[in-house]
Amino acid sequence: AMADEARPDSKTVQVLRDMANRLRIHSIRATCASSSGHPTSCSSAAEIMSVLFFHTMRYKQSDPESPDNDRFILSKGHTSLYLRGADWTEDVDRQETNFLLDLRRLHSLLETMITTLCIQRLSFVDVATGWFGQGLGAACGMAYTGKYFDKASYRVFCLMGDGESSEGSVWEALAFASYYGLDNLVAIFDVNRLGHSGAFPAEHCIEIYKKRCEAFGWNTYVVDGRDVEALCQVFWQATQVKNKPTAVVAKTFKGRGMPNVEDAENWYGKPMPKERADAIIKLIESQIQTNRNLVPKPPIEDSPQISITDIKMTSPPAYKVGDKMATRRACGLALAKLGHANDRVIMLDGDTKNSTFSEMFKKEHPERFIECFIAEQNMVSVALGCATRDRTIAFASSFAAFLTRAFDQIRMGAISQANINLVGSHCGISVGEDGPSQMALEDLAMFRAIPNCTVFYPSDAVSTEHAVYLAANTKSTCSGLSLCFVETEQAAVIVIWLARAGFEPTTLRVIRHSVNDKVTVISAGVTLHEALAAADDLSKEDIPIRVIDLFTIKPLDSATIVSSAKATGGRVVTVEDHYPEGGIGEAVCAAVSMEPDILVHRLAVSGMPRSGKPIELLDVFGISARHIIVAVKCILKN
Amino acid sequence: MSSLWEPSGAPRCAMADDAKPDAKTLQALRDAANRLRIHSIRATCASSSGHPTSCCSAAEIMSVLFFHTMRYKRTDPQHPDNDRFVLSKGHAAPVLYAAWAEVGDISESDLLNLRKIHCDLEGHPTPRLPFVDVATGSLGQGLGAACGMAYTGKYFDKASYRVFCLMGDGESSEGSVWEALAFASHYSLDNLVAVFDVNRLGQSGTAPLEHCTDIYQNRCEAFGWNTYIVDGHDVEALCQAFSQAAQVKNKPTAIVAKTFKGRGIPNIEDAENWHGKPVPKERAEAIIKLIQSQIQTQGNPISKPPVEDSPQISITNIQMTSPPAYKMGDKIATQKAYGLALAKLGHENKRVIVLDSDTKNPTFSEIFKKEHPERFIECFIPEQNMVSVALGCATRGRTIVFANTFSAFFTRAFDQIRMGAISQTNINLIGSHCGVSIGEDGPSQMALEDLAMFRSIPNCTVFYPSDALSTEHAVYLAANTKGMCFIRTSQPETEVIYTAQEKFEIGQAKVVLHSDNDKVTVIGAGITLHEALAAADNLSQQGIAIRVIDPFTIKPLDAATIISSAKATGGRVITVEDHHKEGGLGEAVCAAVSREPDILVHQLAVSGLPQSGKPGELLDMFGISAGHIVSAVRNILMN
Repeated sequence: AMADEARPDSKTVQVLRDMANRLRIHSIRATCASSSGHPTSCSSAAEIMSVLFFHTMRYKQSDPESPDNDRFILSKGHTSLYLRGADWTEDVDRQETNFLLDLRRLHSLLETMITTLCIQRLSFVDVATGWFGQGLGAACGMAYTGKYFDKASYRVFCLMGDGESSEGSVWEALAFASYYGLDNLVAIFDVNRLGHSGAFPAEHCIEIYKKRCEAFGWNTYVVDGRDVEALCQVFWQATQVKNKPTAVVAKTFKGRGMPNVEDAENWYGKPMPKERADAIIKLIESQIQTNRNLVPKPPIEDSPQISITDIKMTSPPAYKVGDKMATRRACGLALAKLGHANDRVIMLDGDTKNSTFSEMFKKEHPERFIECFIAEQNMVSVALGCATRDRTIAFASSFAAFLTRAFDQIRMGAISQANINLVGSHCGISVGEDGPSQMALEDLAMFRAIPNCTVFYPSDAVSTEHAVYLAANTKSTCSGLSLCFVETEQAAVIVIWLARAGFEPTTLRVIRHSVNDKVTVISAGVTLHEALAAADDLSKEDIPIRVIDLFTIKPLDSATIVSSAKATGGRVVTVEDHYPEGGIGEAVCAAVSMEPDILVHRLAVSGMPRSGKPIELLDVFGISARHIIVAVKCILKN
Repeated sequence: MSSLWEPSGAPRCAMADDAKPDAKTLQALRDAANRLRIHSIRATCASSSGHPTSCCSAAEIMSVLFFHTMRYKRTDPQHPDNDRFVLSKGHAAPVLYAAWAEVGDISESDLLNLRKIHCDLEGHPTPRLPFVDVATGSLGQGLGAACGMAYTGKYFDKASYRVFCLMGDGESSEGSVWEALAFASHYSLDNLVAVFDVNRLGQSGTAPLEHCTDIYQNRCEAFGWNTYIVDGHDVEALCQAFSQAAQVKNKPTAIVAKTFKGRGIPNIEDAENWHGKPVPKERAEAIIKLIQSQIQTQGNPISKPPVEDSPQISITNIQMTSPPAYKMGDKIATQKAYGLALAKLGHENKRVIVLDSDTKNPTFSEIFKKEHPERFIECFIPEQNMVSVALGCATRGRTIVFANTFSAFFTRAFDQIRMGAISQTNINLIGSHCGVSIGEDGPSQMALEDLAMFRSIPNCTVFYPSDALSTEHAVYLAANTKGMCFIRTSQPETEVIYTAQEKFEIGQAKVVLHSDNDKVTVIGAGITLHEALAAADNLSQQGIAIRVIDPFTIKPLDAATIISSAKATGGRVITVEDHHKEGGLGEAVCAAVSREPDILVHQLAVSGLPQSGKPGELLDMFGISAGHIVSAVRNILMN
């Protein structure tokens, strides 16, 4: 049987060739109909797609989401036409050709890039790609999950363009895959030489690709990407290699099969001239000798049955009001606890586990901890891959500042409708001595701008634990947890919430209030504790203030904010360890923007911070208790 | 394979000294390294935080670079002719400060103020110090900046200065490092040397490749670098490797230095769990004594002066010599107008350079390339590296840099942009294809969070021009503005709405449409400004006059004009933007009027995940078209 797989008979080979040509024709037709798209990029990969989908990969045609199926990731997203070509028009229903012709029309099922709609309706697609260099990281996550968590037979295939290999994230993923011996992973480099705007640096230097992949620890083959026999053979050989991922460097030509378009510059993203399309299609058709379809082999059904929903907090947080603990440490403890509640909870970190305290999870669940080393982009992509098909509940942690490195991956995660949870520690100037490069002061702006992202900003150990459990159970694009760094130097991190307090992602908590409150102060994290200190001082001067702990910055509990503001004469102060833009202050301003008579006074970090003691910095940058007191008094004077 | 021990070609005579310093010099270099160790240990003990072990692994490398290899003016660290040094592993800052203390630029007593609030010797280096060109501390970014400096030295300055970048082994996991390695070999940056300080240990455990220096070598060679493996604590080997690197033509050189973290500190050297920890205070004096006991000489070798062959240049006060050549009503996309303006700017000053990441035809930077090919840098796809190269090119005021790509892909470089702000850079970033108005290519290509990103960058000026004419002004203003600038451009062709005489200033909004009877102020930018104008036409037919404002810059925002307009229109404001609701124009306006009573702001923005479609259809589907503005105006007036 193995011999068959490596060397299919000549009849099968011809069918595979013919199917490649049919894919080619579909992509020309579809892009002609929509007057835009990437038929040349599609054409170069036709044989690769044909061999993968009709010979090599094992999957259930009727159940594309089955956990046992082999995975396919199209990193060169602009070729996504093929996915439809292969999956829909050839396999499922010939009628779908009509949808292909509707390509790019609004409300059609097919879009150029693999996007939301595809994920909802084209269930074959696991992660959105369509910008370069992100697919392989996600593929690594799937392969890691298959090998180490599911311990199942499914394999993972990732098709990449040559242009995208200049993205560093590809090399992060290559290093990751070889480090973890992901022998169930195959990366195919479709080396067709031409990118957007001219020849690539590596040109046809296939040898360079080979050398680089080998230097990164991959078993590497070079093939003619148009030779279906050679492709069948290398994909089979890849299954025989243990402890090494396989790279297939396929030399192809863009626009293959299209006279005068093949391998010429300036055809990127351009459809065939309409008048020529018919002639070209006829030419390609003339090479088709069969009209047989091949049926993919069924998968081996050995993935475990799992459940990742409805995870209960079996015991309330074990903290007493007044205990001192940094939220990052509380987060590490909560994750370790969560890991006992569900054995599909996994944790990723990028060589910061002793600072983010994810090492607490590692200690108790070493087999579910993935060290991603210093490569945040890849860490997020791997997390996305691990979370596909609901195989795991993934938490990934780093310094919040360094999650900016992965903004594009996070953005694409949102488009993939992934359920990953990102934990950012060391937020704000309260990081102190390490200085501005380590301080996250734009992380709220970043995560708030992600559609459907829930943004938690817990202020003590109890609410941190709740945030972790809520994040694990929340179906949202992703959850961002912003965690304070400060631990022992000040009273700023005492536990303020009773262990049995209930937390909901959409309800903020009023922590101080009286009927005579003059001003509402809204905050979260370290500055909430500054607000409480300010409230204590002000109460001695008989100026009661209301203090609100936001808990989630997005979604924001606008109703409570508005009612509190109205109860305090429309006077609101926001205070945040974040830049003024895109954070708590602006979120609150937007939430009350349709309310007359509510005035918001914002305290935030302005200007470039520097090294110093946390307590000094809070004061120098205007977000300490003293500044809140000044702001409150100033407002009351006017 | 190149090897240190098989020198390729005979070195020139003058270089012999460089390659093989005499025994006395070697001892002096060893002693200098130990003095750097002592300073690093003392400073981090004084601050009770910091990374002395990461300093100790690099002590010999630093000693050889600063007291033997590099050519620079000791008293003028910012001199354009100096060799450049980038400490990519920024957490080893104390050893950099120690080196400059030994050079004489910092007093030894200052070293003990490390990390204190009134001292510029911060936890990680920033350009608050004259000898720091780019801030480091977010790992994996130094080499890209070094590439920019080396490219500038080789191709723009055509000068002799060389660029040295010291990296940690852990940070080589960052993909941006490999982007930079590919860039440097593609552009044959033979004036660039990257030193990998392979000390085996990361922050929380071993680095993935531990001491496998051969794997580093294979990878560097596969990326086209001339590569040597050396014992990183052997000053003689280091001298020779640096000297050989200077002889290699058309290839950058990587030096893979096998070192030990905490070298020279008993029980801490090569031990885990010592990252980012000062040595125990009670052991500090004994450790220092031990290191001192190995020092045999006094004073450091004197560094060689630089070759002074950098051109005199000026990059300030660039004038627009002729007004923009557009007539009102002309139809042109702002992203095309950007390309045209850039080409024109290139004629006004020959230090204007443009970087692009394989998008030069859609971003129209190819217009610049056509007219100024020698000043165009194709960075291929990696956006992280493009931004880092831009940062490097702009250091020491050597160039006026514009770097452009699809705005959505700048998210890829957010960390580099963030660090750029800390670096006090003057680079200009231009993001095209913003918002749902790009249409068919779909959500992965649509920038809907770029304003949130750039607004959060301190001191960044955010331009969002709405027509070709204001785009040209934005380009000139950006070229003349200190601090980072971002220009957001759009794909749809839109009408020119200003006359050539119109003056534009940063932070000055334009009231595009107004009358005495305006009922509502509508604020839009880019494509949505044109939707607002269309809505105004429609509404005027119904007898409803609205005021339309073009903010021109979103940061700083012209709060005064917005507030006075709002007040003149009964406190009724509508913002409309081709961006997500968070962090963009709408929230900026809400924040600007947040302390004004009786101004209500209604936000129209893109919510949820967009999809592919025709631009006009998408504007309508996501609630930011003229039709939606008309409805919003009528709703507000009904209440």
